[in-house]
Amino acid sequence: MSQIDNPTLSASVETVSSYLETAFTSVKAATRFLENTFLNAPITIQIAMVFIIIAIVTTALAYISILRNRYRGYRTDKKLARLCPRIDNLLIDEVLSHPSLQQHVPPDEIQLNIAPFEQLPLHRRWARQALTGRIIHFRRNVRGNIGLLLRNLYMQLDLDNDTLKKLKSRHWEKKVQALTELTSLDMFISDVTILPMTNDRNRELRAAARHAYIKLSKNEPFKFFDIAKEPLLMWDQVELFRTITSTENIAIPNFARWIIYSGNKSVISFCLKLVVYYNQHNAVPAILRLLETKDHYLRADAINCLGKLRARIAEDKLVALYSHQPIPCQIEILKALGRIGSGEHVEFLKTEFLHATDFDLRKHAAKSLVRNQWVSDHPGDELLSSVSQENLRILRHCMNPLIKY
Amino acid sequence: MKKILLIEDDEIMPKIVARILPSTEYRLEHASNGKEALQLLEETSYAYDLIITDIMMPYANGFEILSKIKHRDRPIPVIIISNAGNEDMIMEGFKLGADDFLKKPILPAELLIRVKKLLM
Repeated sequence: MSQIDNPTLSASVETVSSYLETAFTSVKAATRFLENTFLNAPITIQIAMVFIIIAIVTTALAYISILRNRYRGYRTDKKLARLCPRIDNLLIDEVLSHPSLQQHVPPDEIQLNIAPFEQLPLHRRWARQALTGRIIHFRRNVRGNIGLLLRNLYMQLDLDNDTLKKLKSRHWEKKVQALTELTSLDMFISDVTILPMTNDRNRELRAAARHAYIKLSKNEPFKFFDIAKEPLLMWDQVELFRTITSTENIAIPNFARWIIYSGNKSVISFCLKLVVYYNQHNAVPAILRLLETKDHYLRADAINCLGKLRARIAEDKLVALYSHQPIPCQIEILKALGRIGSGEHVEFLKTEFLHATDFDLRKHAAKSLVRNQWVSDHPGDELLSSVSQENLRILRHCMNPLIKY
Repeated sequence: MKKILLIEDDEIMPKIVARILPSTEYRLEHASNGKEALQLLEETSYAYDLIITDIMMPYANGFEILSKIKHRDRPIPVIIISNAGNEDMIMEGFKLGADDFLKKPILPAELLIRVKKLLM
């Protein structure tokens, strides 16, 4: 056996041999445990032992995985903390302070100096993603020629290739991210790619695709209504409404088209809200036809829409329908008569106010009477003095201009 | 040189505004939230020629700062820069005494012109 002279090497050899010894002892202990305890134990205890070992191993693996992910996140954050200020400075120096911007040169003709950007570690995906994120962040703060230059930079650095790859990913969250990026940068997406996503089974992806379609489609931003099979949830409707009403230069169609032909009730209901927002009076005949629908929630929405459009043409039909409607529709009819406020159905409202058994019906009838200026026109009306205490309280509540509901 | 206080929690906006407003004409100071802004204003005895503020910020929002500034004997001109396009919010800002409102994303030239106009 050769002698080891180097003290460091001999210490290492000693450490390794001590580790091996420990491992050997552990294996021996495990074998002893298997022979003496495990194999001699009853079957139920053996099963319990197996489950305990599996649980311990799984927990250990889960902790290792969490630690690994946190460490990777920490490293990425550290790298981004160094990279982002560099990107910001480059964007400010090379794009925001571009001398051609002061000379009113059209952004398409401005040649950006992309050499400094190539010094960034753009061969790494996380760095490219950080640059895309920063460009989008800048575009959320500035528009005009600078916004267009930022978009040009995104394209010149081929960052759009990454986004398009993400759009083809199997993971829905990557697709949503890609759609958000493309929308923020006003990039074109073909209908063939985006339309199927507007009907995707995943709710988040569906919503993102619909927003992107409205924002990016210049001619027919509502084409996806034609193929919408999944319902537009209430939250989706709120978001879509915000997108539609805040998007500039959007081509607004006649929403009566979907009120007549769409088989998707949530699309019809949403179109009714858009009809009101855009004050599309030419949709009234289509909405009147919708009063024949068997779905009373949809009918209530249609009545609500007629009221908000102040469609006097619908008043007689609403009064005629009233007696055989469910309570939600009756309430909407009373509200609509108040909104239209022609004064032609005051007697009907008075009867409902005095004789309806449902409290909500009486309250809405009273409110509509006030809106029809019945109370102010007939201050000495004997009915007013002869109504019951409860009805008088309802009337006073409705006459208070500070109370809205 | 005119002294401007920018109250903005977005980390990029101060860099952009600093680039838009020439440093030879304007001295820009930055507060990243409402509380910090109020502290700065108290410390300097409101010695600013113009305040540019966001609305939605942590600790104290733009409206609180606006009402505090406008209740002083010598009110300072205020420009609101926000991405809240909500009509009610804009009206609320003007009711509280805002001198101008710019919606994000801003046009750099527009900001410069409005700042110049208010500081004339």
